[in-house]
Amino acid sequence: MVIEFLIKLAQGLGIGALALATGLLFGGIGRKIIARIQRRYGPPFTQNYIDLFKLFSKGSVSHGWAFDLGLVAGFAPMLAALMFLPIGPFTLLPSDSSLIMIVYLMMMAYLGMAMGVLASGNPNSAIGMSRALMLMAGYEVPFAAVIFSVYLFSKTGYLTQIVAQQAGGFMNWNIVKMPLGFLAIEIALQGMLGEKPFDQAIAPAEIASGPMVELGGKYLGFGMIQHSVGLFLETGIVVDLFLGGAPNFWIFIAKQFVLYFIVILVDAILPRLRIHESTSFFWKLPLFLGILQAVIVIIQGGVLNV
Amino acid sequence: MNSLLALLIIPVIGSAAAAILQRYRIVERLITFLTFSLTFLFLFGIKTGNLFTWHLDFLGKNLEMGLQITPLSIFMLYMTIAFGIVLTFYNLSEKSKMKGFLLLLTLAASNWIFMSADLISFFFAWELMGWSSILMIFGGRREAESRQGALYYAMMSIGGSYSMLIGIFLLSNLTGTFSIQSNVSYLVSILSVHPWWVLGILSLFFAAFMIKSGIFPFHTWVPYTYGEAPDGFVPYLSSVMSKYGVYGFLIFLPLTLGAHVPTVLGLAWPNYVLLWFGSITAVVGSVLAFMQDDVKKLFAYSSFSNLGFILAAIAIFTPIGLTAGLFHAFNHLLFNGAIFITVIAVISKVGTTRMSEMGGLWQKMPLTFLTFFVGIAAAAGIPPFAGFGSKWMIFQAMISHGLIFATILLFFSSIASFLYLMRAFHAIFLGQLSHRYDNVKEVSAIGKITESFLLGALIFFGILPGFILDPINSIVSSFGLKPLPTSGYEYINGFFSSINMVSIFIVVIIAFIFGFTLFAVVAKHKKVPQEDNYTAGQIPQDWNLTPEMYQFSYDFYEPMDKELAPFLKVKIDGFFKGFGESVEYIGGAVKEIFTGNVQIYTYLAIGGLVIFIIAGWVVW
Amino acid sequence: MSEWTEIVDYFRGRSMWMLHYCTGCGAIELPPTMTSRWDMERFGITPMATPRQADILLITGYLAIKTLKRVIYTYEQMQAPKWVLGFGSCTINGGIYWDSYNVIERLDKYIPVDIYIAGCMPRPEAILDAFVKLKEMVQKGEAKGYEKYVKNYDWYKANQDRVLKRTSPVLKEIEKVTKIG
Repeated sequence: MVIEFLIKLAQGLGIGALALATGLLFGGIGRKIIARIQRRYGPPFTQNYIDLFKLFSKGSVSHGWAFDLGLVAGFAPMLAALMFLPIGPFTLLPSDSSLIMIVYLMMMAYLGMAMGVLASGNPNSAIGMSRALMLMAGYEVPFAAVIFSVYLFSKTGYLTQIVAQQAGGFMNWNIVKMPLGFLAIEIALQGMLGEKPFDQAIAPAEIASGPMVELGGKYLGFGMIQHSVGLFLETGIVVDLFLGGAPNFWIFIAKQFVLYFIVILVDAILPRLRIHESTSFFWKLPLFLGILQAVIVIIQGGVLNV
Repeated sequence: MNSLLALLIIPVIGSAAAAILQRYRIVERLITFLTFSLTFLFLFGIKTGNLFTWHLDFLGKNLEMGLQITPLSIFMLYMTIAFGIVLTFYNLSEKSKMKGFLLLLTLAASNWIFMSADLISFFFAWELMGWSSILMIFGGRREAESRQGALYYAMMSIGGSYSMLIGIFLLSNLTGTFSIQSNVSYLVSILSVHPWWVLGILSLFFAAFMIKSGIFPFHTWVPYTYGEAPDGFVPYLSSVMSKYGVYGFLIFLPLTLGAHVPTVLGLAWPNYVLLWFGSITAVVGSVLAFMQDDVKKLFAYSSFSNLGFILAAIAIFTPIGLTAGLFHAFNHLLFNGAIFITVIAVISKVGTTRMSEMGGLWQKMPLTFLTFFVGIAAAAGIPPFAGFGSKWMIFQAMISHGLIFATILLFFSSIASFLYLMRAFHAIFLGQLSHRYDNVKEVSAIGKITESFLLGALIFFGILPGFILDPINSIVSSFGLKPLPTSGYEYINGFFSSINMVSIFIVVIIAFIFGFTLFAVVAKHKKVPQEDNYTAGQIPQDWNLTPEMYQFSYDFYEPMDKELAPFLKVKIDGFFKGFGESVEYIGGAVKEIFTGNVQIYTYLAIGGLVIFIIAGWVVW
Repeated sequence: MSEWTEIVDYFRGRSMWMLHYCTGCGAIELPPTMTSRWDMERFGITPMATPRQADILLITGYLAIKTLKRVIYTYEQMQAPKWVLGFGSCTINGGIYWDSYNVIERLDKYIPVDIYIAGCMPRPEAILDAFVKLKEMVQKGEAKGYEKYVKNYDWYKANQDRVLKRTSPVLKEIEKVTKIG
């Protein structure tokens, strides 16, 4: 029992480290890609590791225990949510891999982060947070519509089972069966990751990087971890929902990277929207696609007879 | 003594004692608290199926009146009285002008509502509850406004009562009895013949319940009344009293209309309409909430928004819908209680209800801050706190019926609730602490005990939901539905997945431990005061920069106003105001008739008599 | 332990985040340095928004006394390790403002400067050269200006006070001007 627990603990930490490493790598490759699109040489793709290392070795200021607690609470639930995500064939706690659980744990991370940055008492962080929340009111709605249609389609809420149902080749993947839903969730992903045109919350030249204004050293490091793990989680969820999971870890991150690559390309060419424009954008096209997908699923007989 | 009677009599005695001794505030509060506790003790003596009847001779008719206990009433009684104990315990140290004897009268009425077996007692109890709570609203922080709020509440309540009274007389005229059970079974029996009659009578009742719960379009009184009620009473008003409507709905919802009226997506259309009323309420409440600056009003909107969730869930009336609705009713009582108690604690310390004048209070009131934090986390439906399970079950109940539009509305409301909760959290507790509040202290020992208890309860019922789901399952089976499978206290079961809350709690705790370890081992940090902040290089003192000026919390979601402006133009409130004005106008016109001229009176009397005779001749 | 310090210094040199304090002149040289033509990101140097996040404080051009006050405030808000780059002749000897009554002549009398970039204006190549030089110094553990500031704080403080006492708050009657309502 104890041995089993320790093994799970070690595996959990391993997954955390792996997700962090992957997320940071994606970030580094993303910076490189953007640099190449802008005809620059760009930083080495390991730059994010170096940055994180430096941040954890640098001094920082704290605005009190709520600030500290908030930053840790912004990272811990993300780590917890990872434990329920099927990564390739491996899930640490398969019996609890409920999708909604993961989504809400991620929200807890945002809540914790919000608490930390708002406790710093800087109005820029408050403006950034208000924008982040308004953006969330935008992208979560189409995201929810898609999740609900996947629920109705698969008749289960376990990610492991959703992945299992898509086994057996490309034609069984949900992206083929629910293309509109995939489109909606891909647009929502752009907002979730806070990439352009939806980067109002951290607009550096406008509101001094918003929520991160008072973060330095390890606090910024925690923010970076949260972003990287969040990147891994969010792309991982979409891979499990629509791209049929993966037989092994490498294919899994390759699929994640494809999603992130699209996001990066859009990010590189679009300017920043105003906040209310982007919120209402999510309520138009992506939500329409999501609802249309749900209606199609229901017409195909998705309603549970209870 | 019969336990059922004791539940009515003890609060009344306590109320009398409190009324006599109301000059001595602490004695009065103590009596209130002890009466609640004593009532709770008598609650252990009652079981499902307990019955108490007496006969009333009225105008030669022998009316059978009674009290009865169903699983639902036990659930409601435990929930409300337990919350009352917590609140009255907190109120021992609270200084607002709350009248203990009125609260105890409300308790008696509340117990009577949950136990009454006939419509007459139900109506009397309903009226007693209404009037005692209306009187309670007087004596809020601002006198004129609180009178206004009480008046608004009174007008709406009266409207509801009339509607219910007409419903009761129509029903009893048809059946010749006032017993709830036989009336409901009569409605079931005539359903196939006269579905429209049944719907008409039901809508008379439902109007009353919707008004009491603040369901759209009758939500307009809620912010006025909650916003102006005495601080010590608001938690009871929003956590407990809004649930009477839910109880009322559950009396009549088991009619299973589906077989006799057209259905929409497998739901009888009256249920479908109710569900939409619930969903719209949820959205209207959330959207209006994040534009408020008054903290009590904000949580008033939040309160009826959650009632919308509950109504939407119970309107589906499937096992999971019913379970979800009742579970959310409990969770709402818990987290709303925690939020409102911390809010009134803050208000009593800072002396204002405007959020833009607060800020940074976490430094001064750490326990209140933590309780509020967990409260809003639960309200936002974040695991592993109470509130996650019920919201999730509501969504499952809706999706499994394919109600995609209503589900998305509810989900939007859930996200919007995240927005207004964060805004309140920021404006009250985070950000810059004004120098006005340098002397603010944490709540007293009594407040600390209450807050720790609520904090514990939010976590306990979050990770062990089975303690609530078990009684709910017995309610579900008492309605003749098949309860959800249970597999232990730590599980939340649904269609799509069953979630082990304990395992999630452990994972989160381990993640937190790991996070704090990482935090401790990496480079050290330096504590700085709130003045040492990024100001784009400006030195705050040079510009007389005060903490209040460096706090951004007024009009927090200003950009959203532009997007929501078309929806905000619709003013339900304006309709009721206009209605009131036209009533006043008609009243004035009618008054013109009474000129004091005896001749006119005579003509009127003769005319009335003629109409009366003709009407009688036509009817009989 | 020294190996560990070396490793840390190596990575610090590879990831330097910059806060540029542009006083009105010299700012125009930075966009080409950041963007496609010269691309300073390839050295791991990125512009940052606030002093809390930054490692390098790049000060361009002349510093009036009122500006100096803000530069010092910003510098003190940064956390160690931190480095200062003086950009342009004005930070070295006052440049064309050498005889001005309200412009300081030498920046490193007030805060420790790790590297000066001479020129009026220095070209982006010069800026990049300075960055590379700073990187080498950091990796060798030579750039210790921030420690010097702590050690000789009294001297710096005295210098700062000598000029800063000539400034007064920008607003004379602050209560009157900033009153709300």
